[in-house]
Amino acid sequence: MGVQFILCFNKQGVVRLVRWFDVHSSDSQRSQDTIAHIYRLISSRDHKHQSNFVEFSDSTKLIYRRYAGLYFVMGVDLLDDEPIYLCHIHLFVEVLDAFFGNVCELDIVFNFYKVYMIMDEMFIGGEIQEISKDMLLERLSTLDRLD
Amino acid sequence: MDRKKSLINSSVSNNNSAIKGLQLFIADLRSAQQAQEQERRIQSEIVKIKQHFDAAKKKQGNHDRLGGYQRKKYVAKLAYIYITSNTTKLNDVLFGLDQIAELLKSNSFSEKFIGYMTLELLYEHNEVVTKINDEVNYQLTKDLSSSDDNFVMLALNFIGVVGKLTNRLAYNDDITTGVFKILRSPTSSIYLKKKSALAFLALLKSNHSILTDDLQRKQLWIQRILSLLDDTENYRLTLATIPLIEFIAKHIDPGYCTRLLPQLTAILYNCVVTGTSTSSSNQFPLEYTFANMPNPWLITKVVSLLSILIASPTERDSGSLLQTNNIDIELLNKLRKCVSVAIELGTRQGQDPMERIVQNTVLFSLINFASKLDPSDEAISNSVSALCSLLASKEINIRYLTLDSLVKLCSSSGKPAIDAVRYKHLDMIFHLLNTERDSSIIRKVVDLLYTFTDVENVKIIVDGLLQYILSPKNLAEPQIKSDIAVKIAILTEKYATDINWFVIISLKLLSLTSNTTINDDEIWQRLCQIVVNNPSLHRLTCEQLVDYLCKKQASEAIVKAAAFLLGEYSSLLTDKISGVNLFSLLAEKYFSVSNVAKAMILTTMIKMYKTSPEIGSNVIKFFQLELNSLDIELQTRSFEYLNIIQLAKVSGNVDVLQILFEPMPPFNSKSNPLLKRLGSLPTSAGSTTLINSPSVASSSTSDLASKRTTSFRSVGVPMAPPSRKNTSSDENPNVDSFEDFSGKDSYYSRQILAPNWREGFTRMISHKQGVLFTSSLIKVFYRIITVDPQQPFAFHIRLAFINLTEWEITGLSTQVIASKTQGNPEYVITNVNVPSAATIKPNKRVEQSYEVSIRKPFDVEDSPLLAIHFKCGGSTNTINLKTAIGMTTTLVSGEVNPSMHLSLPQFISRWKTLSEALGKDGEYQISGIKLNKDFRKIETVDLEDGLLLLKQIVNRLGFDIVEQTSVHGTLFVSGIIHTKSEGNFGCLMKVQYQENGLANVTCKTTTAGPLAKYIVECIRNVLTK
Repeated sequence: MGVQFILCFNKQGVVRLVRWFDVHSSDSQRSQDTIAHIYRLISSRDHKHQSNFVEFSDSTKLIYRRYAGLYFVMGVDLLDDEPIYLCHIHLFVEVLDAFFGNVCELDIVFNFYKVYMIMDEMFIGGEIQEISKDMLLERLSTLDRLD
Repeated sequence: MDRKKSLINSSVSNNNSAIKGLQLFIADLRSAQQAQEQERRIQSEIVKIKQHFDAAKKKQGNHDRLGGYQRKKYVAKLAYIYITSNTTKLNDVLFGLDQIAELLKSNSFSEKFIGYMTLELLYEHNEVVTKINDEVNYQLTKDLSSSDDNFVMLALNFIGVVGKLTNRLAYNDDITTGVFKILRSPTSSIYLKKKSALAFLALLKSNHSILTDDLQRKQLWIQRILSLLDDTENYRLTLATIPLIEFIAKHIDPGYCTRLLPQLTAILYNCVVTGTSTSSSNQFPLEYTFANMPNPWLITKVVSLLSILIASPTERDSGSLLQTNNIDIELLNKLRKCVSVAIELGTRQGQDPMERIVQNTVLFSLINFASKLDPSDEAISNSVSALCSLLASKEINIRYLTLDSLVKLCSSSGKPAIDAVRYKHLDMIFHLLNTERDSSIIRKVVDLLYTFTDVENVKIIVDGLLQYILSPKNLAEPQIKSDIAVKIAILTEKYATDINWFVIISLKLLSLTSNTTINDDEIWQRLCQIVVNNPSLHRLTCEQLVDYLCKKQASEAIVKAAAFLLGEYSSLLTDKISGVNLFSLLAEKYFSVSNVAKAMILTTMIKMYKTSPEIGSNVIKFFQLELNSLDIELQTRSFEYLNIIQLAKVSGNVDVLQILFEPMPPFNSKSNPLLKRLGSLPTSAGSTTLINSPSVASSSTSDLASKRTTSFRSVGVPMAPPSRKNTSSDENPNVDSFEDFSGKDSYYSRQILAPNWREGFTRMISHKQGVLFTSSLIKVFYRIITVDPQQPFAFHIRLAFINLTEWEITGLSTQVIASKTQGNPEYVITNVNVPSAATIKPNKRVEQSYEVSIRKPFDVEDSPLLAIHFKCGGSTNTINLKTAIGMTTTLVSGEVNPSMHLSLPQFISRWKTLSEALGKDGEYQISGIKLNKDFRKIETVDLEDGLLLLKQIVNRLGFDIVEQTSVHGTLFVSGIIHTKSEGNFGCLMKVQYQENGLANVTCKTTTAGPLAKYIVECIRNVLTK
């Protein structure tokens, strides 16, 4: 139950955001392999003819969506319902877009720590905590101005 | 989003929160074209940062040489290096941990934030946690109690992110209580409350004992958490609270959460029905609407919690869960209304793709939930039609989700759903199988087909699936083809009525494996087991196998199956193929297969040598040749088999050969290894339901099924594998078993009762109405009403809650808990209506009712519990009481039924009869019951008055007292106890009054067993009150 991890990487497979909520392996080599494996799986899928859902392992399925050159991926439990996580991703991207003003990959690169701040305002404990964009943006702009 | 913005023009980099050095470093790295150049840049930066950090360490003590801003900048650079290297550079950044810890201590928000943010990234690595954990925990505890809400927020975020990555936080009492304190405090802002709810969830996930170790704490904390839902229109708080409650319901104790049904229904109804209404009175806040749908997140979360709390119609005995037949009908109707509105919305054509996804999100979650609401067959079939219409959707995601939903619906709703799909929509599903290009969808199609296969349609479905694997245009991943092959194997074994068809299909399946790289030992092994156990299959299978071997390309799996089975049964084929020819056929295949198969063939050859001695020289030559094999296994086998042959030939010792290669005995493994491979299909597949429950299967189905069973089982085949066990109990290893040693639900026994509960309890035994409980806040009245004089074992219990304060009581909810709900309980509670309102105005009352029906005798101490939860003036209150329904409650007094009056001689003769028939069984006696203060007051005055009082009490309970004057100081009492399942019991009783304020009671009943004791205990309770 809940999100196991959130990943964001570009078409070349360079990781832009990584967030684990679940222990997937105690070995750090394995987590890199996991990311590489997810990248290969998702980048090989045809986004015109294939759905946004794919089973990844015995415990995890991936819900993903591509926005321009960036893939946003969430790993969730096999028994979880998929479509709501597509809403998670879309809302996250909408908030990024509103916060940065027409967001692009470079915003995420240069302001990665702000993106994590946004992520923490939206997802903790593997669950979504706030869905009101107004509320989020107001809070984020306050935090952003704090010294 | 691919629009390139230059760094200079970027609006963000100009604002004061930017870290300039970091931006330059990132820009620098990006301008490096070659990976090597980048690597050099990173390394030189690391060296530089290391120097700064080292210098800072040396100077520590007097003043901070490095400065907060510099520290923040360098740590942020390390974080960037870690991310951009795809997390491979962990070891290169570890040296910075000390400085990260320094950042946590900072009083500047932005510095503290960078510290926590970087640790959130690194905390998944054990080496990081081990090094820095103590410092971090100390700082977390400090920040949790900080007066600056933003610091508290950072600590909660951190706990929420890493709480499950390591269990060190969850086993730290300061942290768990710190988080909980924020959650429960009436002064915390909603913003912090929702964060603390999810942070607490993360902690709870890694350590359940936070709640389970201490019963008192468990009860208190869970009630606090549940009370967060009291305001059902606080969409911010409810969204964050429900996942926590869902976790508690799933893994800790569902019993506590069932009382939330009214609140959850209200939330769902507000979103799905009221929120989507087109009328102008629709006040749903716009900011909680997403893609034109009121809070889809909240809807799915509430539905998922409700699905846990309400038991499926098929699992009637599920402990403390809600049963559909017990749910307040008004609530049930509201929930059903939500389902029908969702179907309406989901099948409406939305404009925007996101809008359609969201509509369907709501549709799918509610349709799957609907099976819990005891739907009619018609309702199920309507749901199926609605879903199937979406199979034609142009959007891939929607087709995928529809299939997923159909699989779940077929598994949870059984035959009505399955029939609706397979009789009306099978063509559509096969069409999807042959046209979809997404393996995720194919998987779902196959799951769906698998779910509704049975004896009737097994041939069509298996054919369709085989064709799919065969068709060259379906270049799906090998993994999927392999999964389909496994499913075909299981389906054919499970539902084949024609044993020859079974063999033919299985072999076809095995023969495919050469061109689809299916490498599945389990399939041919299972086939061999079944063939070995069915003598009638031996010849047929071997003939088929020889045919396959004669083809140019026989798959590896066919060769393996052939090697095994022909070794056993080649002698049956002598009229079809000579031993020599069979040998050369195998010898030919030998060189085109793997070493494992080769080893098998070597064994086949020596087995054939045993039965067809004419091939002797060929076999020996072959083994001699293989003595030179490069493979050690093949070499060894050849060597050993040659020796065995030599032993048989030279010394005439054929015993070794005979004993080593005795015919294979039948296999007795009952479980089918293939079933383990099914993956994530819902636990109770509809197909198994069809076979296992005769009530569901139509008569023709069960006929076929039994025919199939005899044809297979009579010959000792491994039984069809047992249907998959419902694994719900395995899923919640931490939920205590539902019963304790006495057979009572453990949930019942675990309740901690209010200190003065016994007063109301005793009153309820002796009076049909009165005060059950009173405190400075609330007063609870009860009334016991016999539903129908003909059924004195069934009662309406009416409760009234009165607010004694000057403030409103809010969030009132109750729970009626039976001592036993499964395994033939003594009494059942039905028709529980929720309190008529959740809010009680000062001095006003709110009412509630439920019914109790007594099935068998039981101890009054096991009467239903009543848990009352409410909020008043900022405090959250839980009052657990025991209501009293005793055996004496079922008495019908003689005034109602005059024929019951006994005279003293009648009483004595009956007493004797009972003694003769039952002896001491069915008798119970207590001497020296110390009477209560009412008696003590009058005792000094008059014996007669005491006796009179005793008479009144016994009369009030519903007993008859024999009119007599001959025996002084004793009451002769009679009555009839009623139960629903075990009928009525007569009861005779002598109550002796003694002058010293004591009484003796002896009771006899017309049945052996503890009934007499139960009756006397009721009386004792009343007399000693």
